[in-house]
Amino acid sequence: MDIQLKRGLLDICVLAAIKSEASYGYQIIKDIKPYVEISESTLYPILRRLETAGFLTVRSAEHNGRLRKYYHITPSGLERISDFTQEWKEIMSIYQFVVREEKTDE
Amino acid sequence: MNKNEFLNLLQKRLNGLPQSDIERSLEFYGEMIEDRIEEGMTEQQAVKEIGSVDEAVTQILSDTPLQRLLKEKARPSHKLRAWEIVLLALGSPIWASLLLAAACIILAVYILIWSLVVVIYCVDISFAAGALAGTAGSVILLAGGYTLSAALFLGGGLICAGLMIFMFFASKDTTVGIARLSKSLLIKIKSMFLRKEQA
Repeated sequence: MDIQLKRGLLDICVLAAIKSEASYGYQIIKDIKPYVEISESTLYPILRRLETAGFLTVRSAEHNGRLRKYYHITPSGLERISDFTQEWKEIMSIYQFVVREEKTDE
Repeated sequence: MNKNEFLNLLQKRLNGLPQSDIERSLEFYGEMIEDRIEEGMTEQQAVKEIGSVDEAVTQILSDTPLQRLLKEKARPSHKLRAWEIVLLALGSPIWASLLLAAACIILAVYILIWSLVVVIYCVDISFAAGALAGTAGSVILLAGGYTLSAALFLGGGLICAGLMIFMFFASKDTTVGIARLSKSLLIKIKSMFLRKEQA
């Protein structure tokens, strides 16, 4: 897959992983891994980027006697997801068109 | 490698980044290892799954803007005394021009790399022009009755067209390659700002 595309998709996947409830690093990786290849070293810059962009906030909470960082989605993060789904609806309809053209060619 | 060894190595390798950035990465990777251990992995296994320190450093660097690294480098380690400020100001004709020269060299390397791409595309465009001119010329010559010359022109045009197609794919690959090259060059430049660990 194209690197730029994959990068953009990973951003959305991370936001989707914290969409319904706040989550932490390892859980996010476990949630995304079945769909896209992701590692700690890729996740870390993504979380920082999304935080700087205001799509998520970080709050530390105690867990088993240590602090764990929980990532919470913000309203603009939710908006980013809905922009994405809207955009991909259009892309999917183009995809349908492309696939249909191939079939009539044969 | 155990957790502390991993984190110590990471801290050493990130030396030169702003302190808050280093602390955040250490917290992040520490938490990741802890979470894995909590799930039943041994410390060694957990560290192994996190991947290499090199990979972590590269990713962190590629996402840290060059300005941030520059700022951290330029930040004095203690509050400047009056005489130091005077010295800095007096020495500015020397260090400022050296700094400017360094920036110019980096810029020149980038321009050099990208002008290669421009050259390749120019050659490709000229082949395209040759192909068009050759075919058009052969039609005109044929209409004028110069059959042999027309054949020569058509042949030349076809050769140009072939080269153009070949060059097009070559130039596409070159562009992608050079884009990658300049990205890794940027990471190299950024890593020059990291202090080398003392042996």
